[in-house]
Amino acid sequence: MTKRLRLTQILVYLFLTIAAFFCLLPILMAIMNSFKTNGELLTDVMALPKGLSFDNYIRTFNKMHYMRSLLNTVILSGLSVTLMVLFSALAGWRLCRTKTKLSAFILGLFIFSMLIPFSSIMIPLYKVVLALGIKNSLVGLSFIYAGLGVSMAIFLYHGFVKGIPIELEEAAAIDGCNAFQTFFLVVLPMLKPVTITIVITNVLWIWNDFLLPLIVISDNKKYTLLLSTNTLFGQYSSDWTAILSALILAALPVIIFYSFFQKQILEGISEGSLKG
Amino acid sequence: MKNFKANASLMLFVTPALIVYFIFKLMPAVSGLYYAMTDWNGINKTFVFVGLSNFIEVLKDSYFWDSVLFTFKYVIVMVFVTNVIALLLAVVIENLHRAKGLFRTLFYMPNMISMIIGGYMWMFIFTKVMYYLADNWGWTFLDKSWIGDPKYAFIAIIVVATWGAVGYLMIIYMAALQGVPAALKEAALLDGANPWQQFWHVIFPMIRHAVTICVFWTLNSGFQVFDVIYSLTGGGPGRATQSTAMNIFEEAFRGNVRYGYATAKSTVLFAIVLVITIIQIRAMQKKEQEA
Amino acid sequence: MKKFLVLSLIVCLVLSLVACSNDAVSDPTETTEVGSTESPRVAELNIMMSIPQYMDQWDTYVKQFEAKMLAEENIKVKVNLEMPSSDQYESVLQARLTGGDAPDLYTLHSNNIATYDKAGNLTDLSAEPLADKIYDNVRETVSIEGRLLGVPLESQAWGVLYNKEIFAAAGVEIPKTLDDLKNITEVLKEKGYTPFMLAYQEQWVPQLMTALTLGGKVSGEIPDWVDRMYADNGSYEEVIDIFGPIDLIMANGTDRAMEMGSESGAAEFAMGKAAMFVQGTWASGTIMTTNPDMKLGVFALPVNNNEACTLVNLSTSTTLAVHPDAKEMDLALKFANYVLDDQDSAGLFQACSFNPLATVHNYEPASWVADASAFVAEGKAYKDLVLPSAVTDEQGKLLQEYYVKTITKEDFVKRMDEVFKSSNK
Repeated sequence: MTKRLRLTQILVYLFLTIAAFFCLLPILMAIMNSFKTNGELLTDVMALPKGLSFDNYIRTFNKMHYMRSLLNTVILSGLSVTLMVLFSALAGWRLCRTKTKLSAFILGLFIFSMLIPFSSIMIPLYKVVLALGIKNSLVGLSFIYAGLGVSMAIFLYHGFVKGIPIELEEAAAIDGCNAFQTFFLVVLPMLKPVTITIVITNVLWIWNDFLLPLIVISDNKKYTLLLSTNTLFGQYSSDWTAILSALILAALPVIIFYSFFQKQILEGISEGSLKG
Repeated sequence: MKNFKANASLMLFVTPALIVYFIFKLMPAVSGLYYAMTDWNGINKTFVFVGLSNFIEVLKDSYFWDSVLFTFKYVIVMVFVTNVIALLLAVVIENLHRAKGLFRTLFYMPNMISMIIGGYMWMFIFTKVMYYLADNWGWTFLDKSWIGDPKYAFIAIIVVATWGAVGYLMIIYMAALQGVPAALKEAALLDGANPWQQFWHVIFPMIRHAVTICVFWTLNSGFQVFDVIYSLTGGGPGRATQSTAMNIFEEAFRGNVRYGYATAKSTVLFAIVLVITIIQIRAMQKKEQEA
Repeated sequence: MKKFLVLSLIVCLVLSLVACSNDAVSDPTETTEVGSTESPRVAELNIMMSIPQYMDQWDTYVKQFEAKMLAEENIKVKVNLEMPSSDQYESVLQARLTGGDAPDLYTLHSNNIATYDKAGNLTDLSAEPLADKIYDNVRETVSIEGRLLGVPLESQAWGVLYNKEIFAAAGVEIPKTLDDLKNITEVLKEKGYTPFMLAYQEQWVPQLMTALTLGGKVSGEIPDWVDRMYADNGSYEEVIDIFGPIDLIMANGTDRAMEMGSESGAAEFAMGKAAMFVQGTWASGTIMTTNPDMKLGVFALPVNNNEACTLVNLSTSTTLAVHPDAKEMDLALKFANYVLDDQDSAGLFQACSFNPLATVHNYEPASWVADASAFVAEGKAYKDLVLPSAVTDEQGKLLQEYYVKTITKEDFVKRMDEVFKSSNK
């Protein structure tokens, strides 16, 4: 019995290792080949690079204006998510606690649009952007992301608030808190688990989003990482070494962020989506 | 009166969200619907209101329905493949004694990376590495037309999309599995159930809500699939792997740039997705309640 | 968990502060640079181009323009040069145009000039100094009824690229008829060469075969075909000859065509993987960087055995247009003229390896350009057919399908006729 158990154990680990290898294969291949010269890459994609030369990286790092693009992306996703969390926590909480026809209507209004494909609002949205004069503005773009993202966030908050007892809020009211104080002092701290979920999924979305910034941002000083990467692809379309090193550079911040906060990220994703 | 007061305080809290939502989502969506009833080509300054004729044309547009068919095929395969793999990984990893965290971390990794970037990485695999292995290591089973043959291109697309999605679903399943009381599992084992029966009869009913969420997520993202296909096959050869979202994009920005018509198409897509989502949620909820 | 939340909130707040103050801070530092007696007028010019592969060259050129304007006109111009990758270029441009936020100058394909002109997006440049500098045959490709509507940037005579060393080693000459081409193909195969490089991953590459064969066939034998097609009074049945060379090329090309991108194809062609490549001279950049010793030549693709149909294509792809709504029209025109500047233009065109197309381009053209120009000089050239872009796109798609054998010639004819009809609406 134990022998068989051990054998299955080994098989399980073997299976997982192979699967994990497959999972990391594209990233590993990209890393390995990004250190080669273009000639090396074309002759043998599986060989190890001859030396650990960072030439490709230095070249793409400068071409992408890496630090500037990175900062832009951080600003954009940070601000967008802050706005989104604030707006939708306020709304989601109140929508759940108010039991009127109006609240049901508003909730429905938010939720039904979750399925609208982005392509159908793209050009009208751009007209709005111009009318408001927020083209090339990262702050403006953050508000757009907030607008596009509140539906899902409100949906999650609404579901989460349902699960927390109302007594605490009532107690706060008795203690003389007004609604806003109750929200910031009592409710918001309790929403922490689902807030983490919302922060993570939306940071990932905005970080990796491409079409919207492509249209709203035309000034390359305000380019996000993905936009800079994309421009680089256009410039070096035949040079896989440049492309691969750019891919790695673009993915690097996410991977670092992930390795630091993986526990919170994984818990955040699972908790929020199951309760929402 | 009580209602009025409640509503007033509600509005106070909802207004910020409502404003950004209204300006950046609802208004564009509604004006998009208006364009769907015009013959606007996206460049001209003038256009004519044409009523429902765009919608009638959509019904007869065989390329559009081909793309809908392809998307359905994609969604069905994706729902099964990703959920089965994700659930399998979740169950296996959840039962590990060692290296649980390591595997969880590794499998989730691809989900963090943009599909555009992932797509390029896979493109490198499919157009360079595969053939290298086939030619130099004698792995001839890899010598397939991964982009050019519609059959294999479909497989390639599924592989890449699964790669990107499985981690996310796996995390949700793992969380649900953790919620299954250990006592229940032990009781089943004591009753003489084999692991398979234990999973099917004890664990699976307990994680049904996670299945609902994951299926909903795969359905919804599947119907809007764009990035993976765009970066891998561009919808080709010809239109063999063109998804509905791509068909719409092409109508709006390529060729005759019929923006109005493209918007009509995307309205139809929206309607299809809406109906299917409602059916799915109803059906799954019913199942959950029965269980 | 708490730490994480607090930390991320702080980061967000700090960053948003930075974001808000950014714009305010950056302005004063810029104005302090100016120290001249009369402070210059400040102006901005937005330019959008579809050629990111020449980003560096144009960045430099724009800087030169800014310096020139400051020195000569005392205008401090800030040029915003935007170059989305060519995949997204059209959607971005379209969003800008529809939003009433057109760039002051932008590039387009000369085949789209009529559409953009009709929509009121082009400025007539006939009266500008640049107009007289452009060679007549090029000028024709960017004009409508005598009105010059753009500054041509990439203009070329093109046909089939071939590797002169392989041709010499196999002892074959460039073909004049389809039979010649068949012969060459056989000889090359006997000597162990792959005749054609196929790179069909991107739809515009197979499309080049229809561009060449249709152009040759129509110009040589049925000159009224295009007009009749526009009048719903023609069919692809009449030009079925085009499949002569297309079938030959597809049957005698490199493997894995659908997995080969245009750039990788050019690189492999440069390394001698195949003897011929149906690709424009614009690929020469990649080819020559991959293999600087490459002996590159150009010949006209024969369509059938009628030599009158064996012609090179004379076309202008990238064209720089001035939008009529340009806020700084005067400056926009100055830039357009500067592109064909007497002193600086030649350097720019040479740096981008564009072909000479104006009198100011007094540099020696590359050998393959000379090859193609020889055809033009003999009158063996035609002006690129102007087809609706939906038709051009469809040709590319259907050729991909034809290559993977999901459609037949008959399907091709039938579907192309339909698409042409529907874009006439």
